[in-house]
Amino acid sequence: MKKRLLALAMGVVIVLGCTACGGGQDAPSTEQTEGENASNTAGDSGSSTVVIAMGSGFSTLDPGYIYEKYPPLVINACYENLFKFYDNDSAPEPCLADTYEFSEDGMTLTVTLKDGITFASGNPMTSADVLFSINRCKNLQGNPAFIAETIDSMEALDDKTIVFHLTQADSAILSKLTYSSLAILDSAVVKENGGVDTAHASTSDTAQAYLDTTSAGSGMYVMTSYIPDEEVVLEKNPNYWGEATNVDKYIVKIQPDSNTQMMTLSTGDIDVALNMTDDTMAELADAEGVEIINEATKTVGFVMMNMNETYGGPVSNPKVQQAIRKALDYSGMQIICGEGTLTPYAIIQSGFMGSKGERAADYMNLEEAKALLAEAGYADGFDIDMTVTDLDMEGILLTDLAQKIKDDLAQVGINVNIVAQPWAAGYGDAYRDGTLGFTVMYWGTDYNDPNVQLEFLPGGVVGLRAGWTAEMNPELAAMYQETMAATDNDARIAVLEKIQDAMYEDGPFVMVAQAPAHIGYNTRLSGVAISDPYVLDVTLINIQ
Amino acid sequence: MEQLKFIGKRLIYLAVMLFGVATLVFILTKMIPGDPTVANLSQRALSDPEVVAAYKAKYGLDQPVFVQYLLYMKNLLQFDLGTSIRTNKPVLSELSRCYPATIELALFAIVLAAVFGILFGIISAIRRNSILDQIVRAVSVTGVSIPSFWFALLVLYFFYYKLQILPGPGRLSKAFSAPATVTGLYVIDSLLEGNLPKALDALSHLLLPGIVLAAFTMGLITRTTRSNLLDVMSMDYIRTARAKGLGRTALILKHALGNALIPVLTVIGLGLGNLLGGMVLVETIFNWPGVGQFAYESVLSADFPAIIGVALLIALNYMVINTIVDILYGVIDPRVRCQ
Repeated sequence: MKKRLLALAMGVVIVLGCTACGGGQDAPSTEQTEGENASNTAGDSGSSTVVIAMGSGFSTLDPGYIYEKYPPLVINACYENLFKFYDNDSAPEPCLADTYEFSEDGMTLTVTLKDGITFASGNPMTSADVLFSINRCKNLQGNPAFIAETIDSMEALDDKTIVFHLTQADSAILSKLTYSSLAILDSAVVKENGGVDTAHASTSDTAQAYLDTTSAGSGMYVMTSYIPDEEVVLEKNPNYWGEATNVDKYIVKIQPDSNTQMMTLSTGDIDVALNMTDDTMAELADAEGVEIINEATKTVGFVMMNMNETYGGPVSNPKVQQAIRKALDYSGMQIICGEGTLTPYAIIQSGFMGSKGERAADYMNLEEAKALLAEAGYADGFDIDMTVTDLDMEGILLTDLAQKIKDDLAQVGINVNIVAQPWAAGYGDAYRDGTLGFTVMYWGTDYNDPNVQLEFLPGGVVGLRAGWTAEMNPELAAMYQETMAATDNDARIAVLEKIQDAMYEDGPFVMVAQAPAHIGYNTRLSGVAISDPYVLDVTLINIQ
Repeated sequence: MEQLKFIGKRLIYLAVMLFGVATLVFILTKMIPGDPTVANLSQRALSDPEVVAAYKAKYGLDQPVFVQYLLYMKNLLQFDLGTSIRTNKPVLSELSRCYPATIELALFAIVLAAVFGILFGIISAIRRNSILDQIVRAVSVTGVSIPSFWFALLVLYFFYYKLQILPGPGRLSKAFSAPATVTGLYVIDSLLEGNLPKALDALSHLLLPGIVLAAFTMGLITRTTRSNLLDVMSMDYIRTARAKGLGRTALILKHALGNALIPVLTVIGLGLGNLLGGMVLVETIFNWPGVGQFAYESVLSADFPAIIGVALLIALNYMVINTIVDILYGVIDPRVRCQ
């Protein structure tokens, strides 16, 4: 019996030993039949596969429904739009479009397609595909349907010419046409699989299940595999009409934990980690073959003070709002948010066309804040509830920002009581209904254009959530339409600057921080850069 | 005949219990604050009544609650768990996708926990109050007390990142693609493919998360085995066997262990049930695409069909495991068989 026990124990040790030896650094592939050659492991020089780790999954990859943060990375790889942002801070440039022209009144946009564009299926792209794609997005009435709301109708003059009739002059229309939901689909393939672009698409379209498993675009890559919450595999489009990079395959893995991303980047199991943090970046500071990018995104955290006294109480007072602006420690908030954080000058984030950059570093002034409170009749301060939700801004908990704000305002006698409320359990409703008195929230840009920030003006979507009606400031409210109509960039910049100056010290919103993004990547890659519209533009990455 | 009656009764209990669980979870998910519309639509979309109406119509959220319940139960009788609001895919197919990963990891962890837990428990009982006993007891207490997410980061950091002797997160190395799905268990499916290197690779990826998950249950099994073995070893029949000249090993293995293991079986069963429910923190750190992650994302999205589906799955787990444990009682203890 002793011998049997001994033999059993030795057997267990041998099995564990074999499996351990089979692990460690990923074993050189013996899987020639797996479709990868022996050198084809990410991190090894010569591999044409790039592995990307992203922090969360997504619910769909159907362009007509997408609205989450990460799907644009995949959509941008597999599909193309009429226009595209080739640089994060530049204006949109023609992609599928060859030429474009606005009418004099700005109500019509005429676009012609380039020659020789083909989809991955081999089908040539025509104006009919453009009409189908954009009408489908509008009529599905999903999350991103709003992006086409200024497009009243479209017509195809011929196979390559599309005329957009707008509901109003829209200086952001080119930026909107870069949005992933307006990516151009292969209409023949999508229709074969249940796609519909008619007015009843929301009830009759059944193509989402198909588009969640494969792509139907003209982009550099084709989605060959998608396992929800696990990984997406993109392979080079053999029928790509343009100039491709030298990366044959992308494997996009869902890795929620930043420590795991750090470790796998360091060992070479992945090439790009999209969700580094200050702690994990410090660990990689001396790592060979790894570079870190820290830059501010256009996602911005802001304090909101309701202008309606019923809900805002003391914070509805303009002097109190100015005092709070003066009392906040913006540098401290940048430290909390991490390296790369900026504090924008006003409601147009740094990086947007027309932005006035950052708020002055020495803006905080506790004595001025106290004086303003005294002027408002609150020399002894006051108590107030701050409702905070359970969301995070690019990984930064809003509750952490709220705690910092509480500490800052305590310096001037304002006692903040933080009230936590889940988004789906009351906060979301109250926020949209404009009944929150005092809160800290964040705004992720819907599309990469400064016009998206106009919603903070009186009468705008976010303005109304702060009880700020157009009647309260008609001059400022009028700048919304003025900006929309300014199809000339210089004219638009002039209006945007006026808006920022008007809101630098006044209004119910204090922009406290532009959230940073931290990307770590293997130095064998070139062209890796943070992209607000696409997270990471894989069509610009090459292997050195 | 008795066996058939036993099985028949169990199946009826199962059906009644699952119905009860589904009803209870449905009621609870409707009672707790959480609107799937608010959880899944953007701020802009929520401001558009047409978009909100289309979304509610798509997922039947515009129906009265009682109608939603009747529709859900009707579908459930046809083994249709509904469509996930978050992923827009059938809940049954989503569970079929992620459950095998959880089964594979849970089975590996429970085998580790049982083998080492019983072994340590025996050693600890035999060498009672010795240094070896103290060490084993310290290990078992540590296993029970250590936070799993911290332990997971620790083992990954040392064995994968620093020492590089064990593989990293995921079910397979990047050099291998997933085997053709037969069972969904990568080790078995790789062997069925005739691919031994892939099977060993899959097995090696089970080591670190398996050790982390086994730690807690192993601690419980060790302590239960030790205390039960000590109780049994003090009984008269053991003294008689010892007086008759039986060696210690034979005494323990042939006479004592069987009686000591019955409560241990219960601990193992409960441990397996717990593991099969998914461990979201460990799955997150090791990129293990299991039920825990799926359940967590479903709760965040107020995805009611998925939440109910997971609850039913966990209830079914415990029911099946309890049945197996009851059968094993009979195998180990003939007295149970005669009852």
